[in-house]
Amino acid sequence: MDFVILSLVMLLIGIYGLLTKRDLLKVFVSVELIALAATLNFVLLASSLGVGLGEAFLVLAFSTDTAVSGVILSMLVIVSRKYGTSDIGRLAEMAEEEEEVEA
Amino acid sequence: MVTEIIIEILSAGLIISACLAIFFEEAIYSVAALAGAFFLTAMVFALNGAVYVAIFQFAVGVGTLAVLFLSGEMLSEKYKKKTPLKSVVAVLFVGLLLSLPAIFFSIPMTTATGYGISFEESLWTFRAPDVVLQGLVMMTVAVGIAIVLYDRKMGDR
Repeated sequence: MDFVILSLVMLLIGIYGLLTKRDLLKVFVSVELIALAATLNFVLLASSLGVGLGEAFLVLAFSTDTAVSGVILSMLVIVSRKYGTSDIGRLAEMAEEEEEVEA
Repeated sequence: MVTEIIIEILSAGLIISACLAIFFEEAIYSVAALAGAFFLTAMVFALNGAVYVAIFQFAVGVGTLAVLFLSGEMLSEKYKKKTPLKSVVAVLFVGLLLSLPAIFFSIPMTTATGYGISFEESLWTFRAPDVVLQGLVMMTVAVGIAIVLYDRKMGDR
């Protein structure tokens, strides 16, 4: 069992979702998967080497990740409530239309 | 040996959950698959000896997922088409294939420089200010939420 390869596969799945999905919530899920891959890599390497320090540093990473998730989610809800959609393509079109109207 | 097999099965499940989280069309199912990924990660951590991190992962995962479920319910569009069963089976198969390299291959590591100190020791030696500050931040958030809820309650009256 190799945790580096496991983390790499998780990272690739996250990047694939980030590049291909158009829904904001799916993009957020992809970001969560990428963060999970990084966490997995650090924690499992630290525990396999018997380094408690690596695990200790991850505690701050968890709370930072959660805070970032909260901020992203609140922005996501605000945007989708304001524009009535969570599709990135439609949001970009709306932004272009707004710019044209302003011009 | 048995633990290793369990970890391999959990890792395969983790990759399959991640694939499902990306490929499900419905937001709620996607979040449920992500919940599975979080839970399996916590299990892998625990089985590898990182019990404290597993507990943190579980606690943080529960909080994140509760908010995600609410947001997913709010943001999901009703007219969206459902994921066909054939696609789900295909994704399960792809996830299983993707988990094979992690199970059968390994990257050799030549450097193993451990400090030889435990999690608790390193947490309090190197991270004491962070831990205290995190506690303060959480307490401030809790007090802030309580104040907002109290204001809203008084405003309703």
